[in-house]
Amino acid sequence: MASVNEGPMAENEERSAADDAAAEGDDRDGASGVAVDGVGKTYAGDGDPVRALDDVSFAAAEGEFVCLVGPSGCGKTTLFRIIAGLTDATDGAVRLGGTPITGPTTDMGVVFQEYHLFPWLTVEENVGFGLERTDRSDAERERRVDAMLDLVGLSEFRESYPKSLSGGMKQRVAIARSLAVDPSLLLMDEPFGAVDAQTREMLQRELLDVWASTGKTVLFVTHDVAEAVTLADRIVVMAAEPGRVAEVVDVDVDRPRERDDPAFGEHVARVRELIGARP
Amino acid sequence: MATDAGDRFDATELRTGLGLEDPRRLGRGAAGVAAFVVLWYAVSLTQPAYVLPSPVAVADAFAEEFASGTMTTALWSSVRHWVPGTIVGTGLGVAAGVAFSWSGLLDDVTAPLVRTLRPVPPLALIGFAIAWFGINDAGAAFIIAVGAFWINYYASYGAVEGVSDDLLDVGRTLGVRGDLDMVRSVVLPASLPGILTGIRTGLGRCWMLVVASEIFGVPGVGREILRASNNLLVDTVIAYILVLSLMYLLVDVAFRAVQRRVLVWRA
Repeated sequence: MASVNEGPMAENEERSAADDAAAEGDDRDGASGVAVDGVGKTYAGDGDPVRALDDVSFAAAEGEFVCLVGPSGCGKTTLFRIIAGLTDATDGAVRLGGTPITGPTTDMGVVFQEYHLFPWLTVEENVGFGLERTDRSDAERERRVDAMLDLVGLSEFRESYPKSLSGGMKQRVAIARSLAVDPSLLLMDEPFGAVDAQTREMLQRELLDVWASTGKTVLFVTHDVAEAVTLADRIVVMAAEPGRVAEVVDVDVDRPRERDDPAFGEHVARVRELIGARP
Repeated sequence: MATDAGDRFDATELRTGLGLEDPRRLGRGAAGVAAFVVLWYAVSLTQPAYVLPSPVAVADAFAEEFASGTMTTALWSSVRHWVPGTIVGTGLGVAAGVAFSWSGLLDDVTAPLVRTLRPVPPLALIGFAIAWFGINDAGAAFIIAVGAFWINYYASYGAVEGVSDDLLDVGRTLGVRGDLDMVRSVVLPASLPGILTGIRTGLGRCWMLVVASEIFGVPGVGREILRASNNLLVDTVIAYILVLSLMYLLVDVAFRAVQRRVLVWRA
């Protein structure tokens, strides 16, 4: 991805300063960001109903980077789908900018673990997919696609089909695609889980750059504690059976964060302990 | 991309379709055909012509039928059955397969009907062909259309069923709303490879059905085969079978070239 300063993203750069300020403030009720409020999910299977999520509440302020971590089976993916509007919650509600989520919304960019690019569309067509459903003019759409491709450093590959891209490049396209319609929230489900360790670290740095330059609120689901500590302003630690919030950890470490920084290690240890702990 | 493919179309695509890009493979194929003809010739020497005519007799019959104009007339007549039958059957089959597979409601409503009608061979519908259309081109086209319909129905149905839910989810998060938009923007392109395979299978099957469709007296290649059979003119039968084979080969090569171009995005 291109560095922060290269992207022709004037509109977003203007926004980012204000958003950063908001993120530093106390807007943690999610009034202008995202608020997950008492969300529960019960699956009525053939046998006893399964309680996948129970009273999950947390919020991310506008412009804040929040990671969700937890052991497998803690309902991370269910929660991700509920926030995305792809699955209905049994109880509670998710609000984005104060509006309850009742289904998928284009005010939220969603990035999946396995990229899920449309294989029959070129890179630029993938990025422009959501824009075709907006009332922007053709020229505006084209500018927007150009800006997004530049943001993720894939302008040269605009006419390639996904089959010829590496995993890391595919995920960059998926991120550009989700950001193209300029959503206020970027929701990501283990987006770097399918790439090798080296690519993963590069993508993490690039995501932080994109976040800094666009000022989006980011909700990032991962099972990798070090990844969460690398990225997040705050980490929502989940516990399993039923899936619930164990604790919310603030990450008070200056960016860029180095893994050999003692403060980094302390946060990782703290989150690991919370995940391991059983009630 | 599209213009590149267009430029290459006549050269590479067609060569690939005909197997010309690999001389060794082509040579082996030619050797196989030659060996078969030699074996055929040898066996034919031991048999009367009404059991197995020699390749030479078949070539003679071919030349004779062609020279008299009978073959051209019959072929033109069969093309008039094949083209509308294949187009209508394919169109309806793909449309029904996609619609019934995508819509749970339509699927529920039609599933018992489909299971009842599916085992009926097109040939069993000749009575309807005659009653509804008469002993004419439309009646023959109807038989072919029925065959094309089912192949395309099942291929499209399966292809749509195989579209990953994840792609549908991505579509929804990117603002796709409503069945029409989803089918047009995600379901159809995602299932296109399977649909095209069905169409290709159907194109071949429809040439086979040409024979069946002309069984009740409509002129065409199939009619000539049946008439020659009745007169034990086996050499003429084989000559007309070769006509069907050549037509199939021609259509299949052309369709494969189109398929490759359309699916250029595939790995």
